[in-house]
Amino acid sequence: MPDPAISIRGLKKTFVGHLSIGRIHALRGVDLEVPSTGIYGFLGPNGAGKTTTLKIVTGLLFPSEGEVRIMGRPAGDNLVRMNLGFLPESPYFYDYLTGEELVTFFGSLFGIPGKELKDRTRLLLDMVGLRGKEKLPLRKYSKGMLQRVGLAQAMVNDPQILILDEPMSGLDPIGRREIRDLILGLKEKGKTIFFSSHILADAEMICDEVAIIVKGKVVQKGRLEELLGKDVRFWDLSFKGPADAEGLPSRHVITSHEGYTMIRLDSEEAVEQAVSELPKRGARIISLVPHKASLEELFLSSIEEREND
Amino acid sequence: MTEKLGALSLLQVRAIMKNTFKEAIRSRIFYILMAFAVTMLGFAVVLSFLTLGSQKRVILDLGLAGISFFSVMTSIFVGIGLIYLEVEKKTIYNVLPKPMPRSNFIIGRYFGLMAVLGTNLLAMLAILSVLLAVFKGFTMAVFQAGLFIYMELAIITAIAIFFSSVASPVLSAICTVSFYIIGHTSSTFPDILVPLLRSPFQKKIATWFFHLLPDLNILNTSNLITYDIPIAEGFTLRALLYTGVFVSLLLLAACLCFRKRDLV
Repeated sequence: MPDPAISIRGLKKTFVGHLSIGRIHALRGVDLEVPSTGIYGFLGPNGAGKTTTLKIVTGLLFPSEGEVRIMGRPAGDNLVRMNLGFLPESPYFYDYLTGEELVTFFGSLFGIPGKELKDRTRLLLDMVGLRGKEKLPLRKYSKGMLQRVGLAQAMVNDPQILILDEPMSGLDPIGRREIRDLILGLKEKGKTIFFSSHILADAEMICDEVAIIVKGKVVQKGRLEELLGKDVRFWDLSFKGPADAEGLPSRHVITSHEGYTMIRLDSEEAVEQAVSELPKRGARIISLVPHKASLEELFLSSIEEREND
Repeated sequence: MTEKLGALSLLQVRAIMKNTFKEAIRSRIFYILMAFAVTMLGFAVVLSFLTLGSQKRVILDLGLAGISFFSVMTSIFVGIGLIYLEVEKKTIYNVLPKPMPRSNFIIGRYFGLMAVLGTNLLAMLAILSVLLAVFKGFTMAVFQAGLFIYMELAIITAIAIFFSSVASPVLSAICTVSFYIIGHTSSTFPDILVPLLRSPFQKKIATWFFHLLPDLNILNTSNLITYDIPIAEGFTLRALLYTGVFVSLLLLAACLCFRKRDLV
């Protein structure tokens, strides 16, 4: 079995205030393993410890206890960092540089030679949709453009592992979709993406595995389909016509208006019976939507459990 | 692999240096200070008309003093934010996760600012030389004085960087300015303060302590140059050694303080 891309064991971080007054336990023993391929979502409410964990993984903070290994080596190792890309939360860049200068600057920190760096910079700026904007100073970039140039700089060394802190926060729906597509494109290229988010809809769409952190501790982790379950929890059936839902088993009416009715059914038998019975009563079935447990429900129940601990 | 990482370190320091240089020359404060310095040179010329017979000396003396003062101001006010503002503005979050020791960042920032100060100094010395040439008083010693001003800037910038890596800009400014003032007065301490002590032991300890304080006066050659007194070669070498040791120790201290600092 290959080494996990990132392995975090017993990670604790305590921030001590000035003159040792006041202690904040930001991480209380985080354990997780990010596999060597795929997209791993690190989810949690604000202040749960997501950014602190990512900062320790990228060497911006030092752990109070515990260990982080990347590709089997200690996180601070420079050889490891050659294969790492990082996009911080709400990235701040040198606003006196142009987009092109910024990516070139970060590329030169990896020792990428001039001609190769120039070509790679152009390619990356194209890839993140900044063609034609590369000569603009960053102070004139919108938030979405900064996020995209941030992704370009994170990819300048063609890293195997990309760590993205809230890559979709503060973006409009179009911007979020663009970043999502970029992340999916990177997954197709065999990269490992470890990203934090509190936007659950995005995470649910693209993650293979997730971990949920609440108050400095991981409370749920695993493959998304395993956590959410494969089974359908209920079905919503919509129909039009004079029929009513009286006599159908395991149902309750959600809405009924101007001849349109939606009922919720909680077993496969009830669905089969409704589907055969309703047309006989003169109704036309419009839709049947199965519902599995959502990431949001899992997320909220995890928070609630941890709050009650 | 170690050699490769060593070569990479040099490239990284150069990249950070270049970026620091761009940052300074694209900032307004740099041009404002430059404008003040040029105004000061103009003022030196105006004042020289009020003196009798020593016009060249006044331009040279006031010109060098103005250049030194505005260079030190640039060094302090840009230097104190060099590390602190990177952390405060979070721009450092993109830089340090790269395969680079934190010391490369400090050293790159330091030499970047030194490159800016060097360019700035050369430009001002060139203007002063032109003014002196106009008044038929040009001397190559202007550039010799420039070397000593640059050595002083090297020490002041290292102090500013050291404080910037551990403290806020306001505190750094206070500490660096205090250091500058002590540096220009410490050579008088042994003569004034040691005779006040009674026991020979106390006098010995105090003398040693005063030797540990920075002495920026040994880099002050303006008087020698204004009065056409030649500077001995050994004096220049000693000053270079003094500057080298002082800067190395301060940069080492800055790197050690910054090495394990949490960037919250």
